[in-house]
Amino acid sequence: MQRQSLKRRDRRPAVVLAVLLGLVAAIGAAQSTPAAVPRGDPIVVGSTLSLTGAFGATGVIHKAAGEAFVQWINETGGLLGRPVEWKVLNDESDPAKVAALYERLISQDRVDLIMGPYATPNIVAAQAVAQRHGYVLPNHTAVLTYALTYPCQFPTWSAGGKPNLSVPQTVFRLLKSQKTPPKRVAFVTNTGGSTNFISYGPPGSSEGGAVEWARKAGFEVVLDLKYPPAVSDWGSIAAQVRAAEPDFVWNSGLALDPVNLLQAMQQLGYRPPQFLTLFPAPGPLLGMGDTSNGVLSLTLFEPNGKLLKRMGKKAQEIVAEFAKAAAANGLAYRVFDSQATASWTAWEVLVAGVRGAGSLDQEKICDYLLENGTDTTFVGKLRFNPALHNFSRPRNLVKQIQDRRWKVVWPPALRVTTLQEPD
Amino acid sequence: MNTYLQAGVSGVMIGGLYGVMALGLSLTWGLLKVINLAHFALILGSAYVTYQLTTSTGVDPLVSVLVVTPGMFAVGVAVHWVIERFHVDELSSLLLSFGLFIVAIQLINNIWSADFRQIEAAENPYATRAVFIGDIAFPVPQLMALGTALVFAAVGFYVLRRTYFGKALRAIAYDREIAGAYGVDHRRIGMLTAGLASALAAVAGVLIGINQAVFPQLALEWVGLIFTVVILGGIGNLLGAVAAGILIGLVSSQVGVAWTPLGAPVVVFSLLILALLFRPNGLFGRLGE
Repeated sequence: MQRQSLKRRDRRPAVVLAVLLGLVAAIGAAQSTPAAVPRGDPIVVGSTLSLTGAFGATGVIHKAAGEAFVQWINETGGLLGRPVEWKVLNDESDPAKVAALYERLISQDRVDLIMGPYATPNIVAAQAVAQRHGYVLPNHTAVLTYALTYPCQFPTWSAGGKPNLSVPQTVFRLLKSQKTPPKRVAFVTNTGGSTNFISYGPPGSSEGGAVEWARKAGFEVVLDLKYPPAVSDWGSIAAQVRAAEPDFVWNSGLALDPVNLLQAMQQLGYRPPQFLTLFPAPGPLLGMGDTSNGVLSLTLFEPNGKLLKRMGKKAQEIVAEFAKAAAANGLAYRVFDSQATASWTAWEVLVAGVRGAGSLDQEKICDYLLENGTDTTFVGKLRFNPALHNFSRPRNLVKQIQDRRWKVVWPPALRVTTLQEPD
Repeated sequence: MNTYLQAGVSGVMIGGLYGVMALGLSLTWGLLKVINLAHFALILGSAYVTYQLTTSTGVDPLVSVLVVTPGMFAVGVAVHWVIERFHVDELSSLLLSFGLFIVAIQLINNIWSADFRQIEAAENPYATRAVFIGDIAFPVPQLMALGTALVFAAVGFYVLRRTYFGKALRAIAYDREIAGAYGVDHRRIGMLTAGLASALAAVAGVLIGINQAVFPQLALEWVGLIFTVVILGGIGNLLGAVAAGILIGLVSSQVGVAWTPLGAPVVVFSLLILALLFRPNGLFGRLGE
């Protein structure tokens, strides 16, 4: 018995030493061994982006995000051990050019993989070419879900397969959570494809969109105004909103629309109690100072302190690297928000597909993604649902401008602060 | 009723901005027989310079007039020198200036990127201000544009009718060779006029920079509307250009309230078609009528 205990005691130093040595080796390996340097011919990913033209302002964000991703993947071992090269062409915001350029990338340049362009009309144009050649098409910004019919296209704009239903559901749930929910709602809709879809639903369908669902949810729709994609005189639109006396203005608007509308309303000395806009240019809204305080919008992700911290070091590094790429591309607003998130996620989908398939075989990549989906850094697990044109379940976060910053206020599980309600 | 009135006021005032943008184009087209598409690039370039000066130095955005006006005057003179040097006719001037327009937009894109640029509220004391008469608001940026349009059109009208420069310019417009025979130096007067037209573009650009965010594509949104203003106003007719701008602004706003904002372009461009059919010299007549 005594012998046995002595034996045990004798072993202790050896065990401790072994554990220590193991720890030292592990720490040493982590510190000194760099990620394997990718070798061999590069895997070429081809795509177009709208770097000039109507979609240019947002297209540049996707360029910055793509560049940051390619740099990151090459620094972390590459793809299948090979470096990744991104060949991006300017489609000038013209869907006809998109189709021709993807044809060139696949048929002449013989790129190994493709990434989707920016904006729904361009994605639909690229989809036709990808389908003809059997290429997998991850894409970051398709909103017209009904137009994305190719089984091997993989969207990452996570408003779900029916954003015309999921977006109003999210917003109305938020509104009804307030101490005094609004009663009178004014809709002001840009008739461009995506925004029109969310307000009114798909063409030729009885599904409806936000306007109809507002009525069903018990709100009084006091104004339902549509405007063309290019407006010079916001004053007359602002006058009509003011006259309708809404508690809540829903602007299905794009880019600068909310900036122009808020400014025109401010010039009339009017400010609605609450204002939501769908797809704004986030920087110019923040630049409006007090005029835009409290404005609500939707997002996939915002790099708010707590939220970002929760996601870990990798996410923090990506956000920082994106800011550098955005600066290099001349972007005034360099925050890694919705657009950059969608872009980064689409690249992650592409890489997951290739790694899962273990090759560049398009059919295997497509099958792998359909079967397994993928984990992503910023929007969690994505599963591609063929019944909903491969759109995942909705992930609509609502953000609000508070103290000149966008902050996530909904859903409660992901918010970093509470909703600022009207006085 | 109040909504119609407020929308009408907004329409008239935005029409003033259309007028300022149209003045220089009308001047060169009517008097120099140069259809200058690059005019829109000069407006946009001036708006960007206004943005840059204000955000870099913190000066009042209106101060940028002192920089962009002489700068664009020089650009206008240089472009006209090229047009004179190579004997570019009216139709070719449209093609040449279209090329310049595209080059300028791309340069702007290369310098500032395709991203939106806007003077922040803290540096722009004008963007959200308005003067009120009762419940009716007169937004300050548009008020400045309307005032500028009226003053410039009136001064232009006076200069063209009452001064030697104006008379010489009109003589060149009617018959350059005969005017030359009477000692009118068409090169000098042409360059001065082109410079003044570009300076007017610069003023329009400053007003735009104060009023809204800019991006390279913005210039393309103006082309159809401002050409409509110039044609409806009567080519070369400065008072007509401002009046047509105001008319289009007013009609658009009332259509937007009474019917839908989607109907405004339909009505405005229908007006243009009708004018071309029944009043080909514009609603207010061409210069000299």
